[in-house]
Amino acid sequence: MTNLLQLSNLKKHYPIRGGVFQRRVASVRAVDGVSLTVQKEECFGLVGESGCGKTTLGKTILRLFKPDSGSIFFDAPEDVVEEIIRLKQKDPRSRRLRALRRQYDVATYRGVDLQSLRRKMQIVYQDPTTSLDPRMLVKDVIAEPLTVQGIAKGEEAKKMVMEILERVGMSDRALYRFPHEFSGGQRQRIAIARALVSRPKFVILDEPTSSVDVSVRAQLLNLFTDLQREFGLTYMFISHDLSIVECISHRVAIMYLGKLVEYAVTDEIFHNPLHPYSQALIASVPIPDPTRRRKSVPLTGEVPSPVNPPMGCRFHPRCPIAMDICKKKEPELLDAGKEHYVACHAVNSLTET
Amino acid sequence: MSQENMVDIRDLEVKFYTYAGVVEALDGVNLFIKRGEILGLVGETGCGKSVTSLSIMMLIPPPGKIVGGRILYKHGSEQGNILAMSADSLRRLRGKDIAMIFQEPRAYLNPVYTVEDQIGEVILVHRRKEILQNAVSNIEKKLVEDRRLVLEKQRVRFEKQKAGNEKDKVKLEEPGALLEKEVSKLTVKPPSNFEVGIYERLIRSPRSRSVAFQARFSRKRQFKKELRKEVVRVLRSVEIPDAERVARMYPHELSGGMAQRVLIAMALSCNPTLLIADEPTTNLDVTVQAQILNLIVTLKNSLGSSILYITHDLGVVAQSCERVAVMYAGNVVETADVFETFSKPLHPYTRALLKSIPRPGEPYKSIAGIVPSLVNPLRGCRFHDRCEYAMEICRKTKPPFLEVKPGHYVACHLYGGLK
Amino acid sequence: MSLKKRWENFRVGMRPRIAEWRFMLKRIGHSYLAVAGLLILLAFVAIAVLAPVLAPAYSSDPFTVPQDRALAAVTPSPTPPTTAHIFGTIDEQYDLYYACIWGTITAFRVGVLVVGASLVVGLIIGTVAAFYGGILDEALMRFTDIIIAFPGLVLAMVLAIAFPQSIPMNLSMVMLAGSFIAMFVLLVFRPDRRLMLVDLLIIVFSLYSVFSFPLDVKLGLSQLDKVLLAITIVGWPGYARVIRGEVLRVKNEDYVEASRASGSSDFRTIIRHILPNSMYSILIVATLDIGSIVLTTAALAFIGVGAPVNYADWGQAISRAQNWISSGDLIIKNAHVFVIPGLFIVLFVVGWNLLGDALRDVLDPMLRRR
Repeated sequence: MTNLLQLSNLKKHYPIRGGVFQRRVASVRAVDGVSLTVQKEECFGLVGESGCGKTTLGKTILRLFKPDSGSIFFDAPEDVVEEIIRLKQKDPRSRRLRALRRQYDVATYRGVDLQSLRRKMQIVYQDPTTSLDPRMLVKDVIAEPLTVQGIAKGEEAKKMVMEILERVGMSDRALYRFPHEFSGGQRQRIAIARALVSRPKFVILDEPTSSVDVSVRAQLLNLFTDLQREFGLTYMFISHDLSIVECISHRVAIMYLGKLVEYAVTDEIFHNPLHPYSQALIASVPIPDPTRRRKSVPLTGEVPSPVNPPMGCRFHPRCPIAMDICKKKEPELLDAGKEHYVACHAVNSLTET
Repeated sequence: MSQENMVDIRDLEVKFYTYAGVVEALDGVNLFIKRGEILGLVGETGCGKSVTSLSIMMLIPPPGKIVGGRILYKHGSEQGNILAMSADSLRRLRGKDIAMIFQEPRAYLNPVYTVEDQIGEVILVHRRKEILQNAVSNIEKKLVEDRRLVLEKQRVRFEKQKAGNEKDKVKLEEPGALLEKEVSKLTVKPPSNFEVGIYERLIRSPRSRSVAFQARFSRKRQFKKELRKEVVRVLRSVEIPDAERVARMYPHELSGGMAQRVLIAMALSCNPTLLIADEPTTNLDVTVQAQILNLIVTLKNSLGSSILYITHDLGVVAQSCERVAVMYAGNVVETADVFETFSKPLHPYTRALLKSIPRPGEPYKSIAGIVPSLVNPLRGCRFHDRCEYAMEICRKTKPPFLEVKPGHYVACHLYGGLK
Repeated sequence: MSLKKRWENFRVGMRPRIAEWRFMLKRIGHSYLAVAGLLILLAFVAIAVLAPVLAPAYSSDPFTVPQDRALAAVTPSPTPPTTAHIFGTIDEQYDLYYACIWGTITAFRVGVLVVGASLVVGLIIGTVAAFYGGILDEALMRFTDIIIAFPGLVLAMVLAIAFPQSIPMNLSMVMLAGSFIAMFVLLVFRPDRRLMLVDLLIIVFSLYSVFSFPLDVKLGLSQLDKVLLAITIVGWPGYARVIRGEVLRVKNEDYVEASRASGSSDFRTIIRHILPNSMYSILIVATLDIGSIVLTTAALAFIGVGAPVNYADWGQAISRAQNWISSGDLIIKNAHVFVIPGLFIVLFVVGWNLLGDALRDVLDPMLRRR
């Protein structure tokens, strides 16, 4: 399968300024070197706890934030991507690299390129109450991408809006109402309609089911899968709710403190987690079956702040199998077999032997 | 675990009189909590679970009003119908017998006071006498200790002088006399008699204004020390590492998990018999949630309190609760043991809820329709428009809350009561 | 799309907003004070509209108060109400009734113009500062602080006196003003550095040419205009600060980011998302201010800085009373001179205050309802 999206060592840091002259005293390393690929028409799950940087990663891919370093390749041919990565390592100052990057690397886009990118990549936010302008009619909310991108105006736009509303399962009467007149699940559908009206190829779903009731979550999940089939969409499903990610994603990646610790096909990750953090995370999920109760707490301690991540492997202070090398050297993300990537010294040493 | 019901809610009705109309939030809720058990209250947004918990504490804000029903509380210093209690009794009840923790912990901590001050406040409201008594007894102990030390020193000197040179004709004093000078040389400074007097007067007449006024001008060092000790002890009991440092922190310096632990500490500081937990782990990460759940269960076992755990997450309920009550649109529709509820759910809503939990590999089943608006609720059973087993009678009459099997209560026309 | 279809769309689109306004009016109707305020203001509006009927104009400029020459020949002191002059006269026998009636129009003009102008200026500066942040925010806010640092009334007085009778202009000044506006527009539409550099050069050039070419055209300013301009200059920083706070709050909301994710430009985001959501608090302040602006103009008129002598203005009328209340019985005798216009001012201000309070009570739950 071809890759729709490829990230190469993406970094996004937020400076913390202090002192009289507001100099940069420290950085919040929200995304600290993430590389992954998302294939066409798949649902890629991104899991992690608060502070791990998954939302920042999603928004950086969308260029709502400007990345500090690294590359984002969207719908670029394989060979070009390879060449850019090769040139970056061998000859970072070459003119050819700059020209190629300006054309293919989303991280460097500006102006018109960025504008046309917005049409192809969209986002659905977590809380539909705050992501829809409370003073705009539903019709205007959904038609906004069309107007802004210049795709359609007036009557034509209205027709497209009605079409997409029908596809997400809402009636026409919603057009001339305000968002706050609807329930949470319906508002999320309006947000989905807004994201899809310009027929994007890639949609980032930032915890779309978290603020919604349990009984409505199933409805939304059905909607996501149907729409994916119908429009040929590619999703990046960001969530901290592992049970939902397990249901809907084809491949899953787990993040911790700005870096990926493990990623593989869904079945592999959930039935055979290799990284200690993944194991603890999956064991922490409460199973809705009282006959299968946890005996002990899977993971103690708190997530450290992303301002000063621990040296070496970032998980070592809480890791049950931490070794000496974990305190000094950061593990690389290596394939432990069957395209199951893990960043752990213990696992890596096993696969090497 | 006694069979006795500690809190018994019967036919509770709560209405909110808003500009948009009268919202019938609770429509005859029947719920009971036994001693020492964890009851999970499950339901979706708007079903009335938070309103129920606030009613138990009589904390419904206007425009809400409790318009019917009884809440019988059968334990502790205050007994009887909570809805009919006087304001004084309620104040004694809240915090001491019934405590509550909430969803967003940092919203319920005052940002301008340290953790120590806030937990101290709760302890002071309910256990002031105890702390004062501790202070007094510690002072007395210290005084006794001081006297003993001084006596010891004098005795040693006496002995030395007796055994030593006759030429040093220093005036020998009896070991019994307590020298002021010796006392002042001690590194441990005993509190003044004034302070002890204030404490004793505060214990004897806690409401006297003149005593309170005098108390303001004394430094109350021992008292504050006792309070601080108690706060640290409570913080340690909720497994907060480095409790002394955390006690001096401000709420914004705490992470979500820590703040929730602090809230739990505050709630448990006066050993309540009932702890109401209103979605305490919903906003927390899943690993922290596991820790907090474990903590709550451990504390319940050690303190013997009952817990009313309100949540919409069925996984959490399955992991930690002993009994489950399911609510829908202002009614409790089913109450049963947790194993029963998950394996043999009776009410159609419970069944649909359990079926709608997403499982990998299976198609996702949801419940048709949307949660009804409570401004003009449906007549009869409030679930009938979404129920797949709806009958004629469901449209007209509200189903009674009956015990269908021992310990298993359902409100549905499909089931009759135990004959 | 045909005109009829467009109208139909517009009507249907407005229905939910009209439903909202009706909800708002219903809320206002619940409070007695709010209804009272509304009625007071409606009465004043009626007076203003019916002014030519209630007090027919005596000369080509209806704002000149008529003078009773006959009585003036007899005595210059104010006369109490008689059948000929319903409210009496102020000194030099200017009819008080006429002054009060036409003063209503002046009050509305003063209030609405000044508040409108300060609102627009404050809105622009506050929004741009809050939206772009950084050095621009710092610079604009420090400039605002400088103006706030001066005591308002004193600064207004100084400005009103110090403004030249006419502003000398030439083409360079027009170019200067135009290039400032262009700079602002550039910042808001699209911060294009090259164009901004060019614009900066134009500013520098026009500054130079302003001083080297003669200023020949003169723009006349009437006395009242100068006062209005002064109060506007003193008044806009308050609005700028309020709206800056609101915009900072709204800027971080999800829907603003969602709009950016759809590709909307900065200008569009501000106009369509940020302003409609942040304007309400400032509107409430504005309605309250209309009353207080009238008070300020009256105060300035009392000091002597204000409308010309026989202008129909409440403040002017009261200021004429200064010389006639030097002793106890004179106060009683000439009470009508300050009591009647004073009553007009008080009722006007109270009306706007009540309306502003009512708006605040209504808009608050409506905003929270969302």
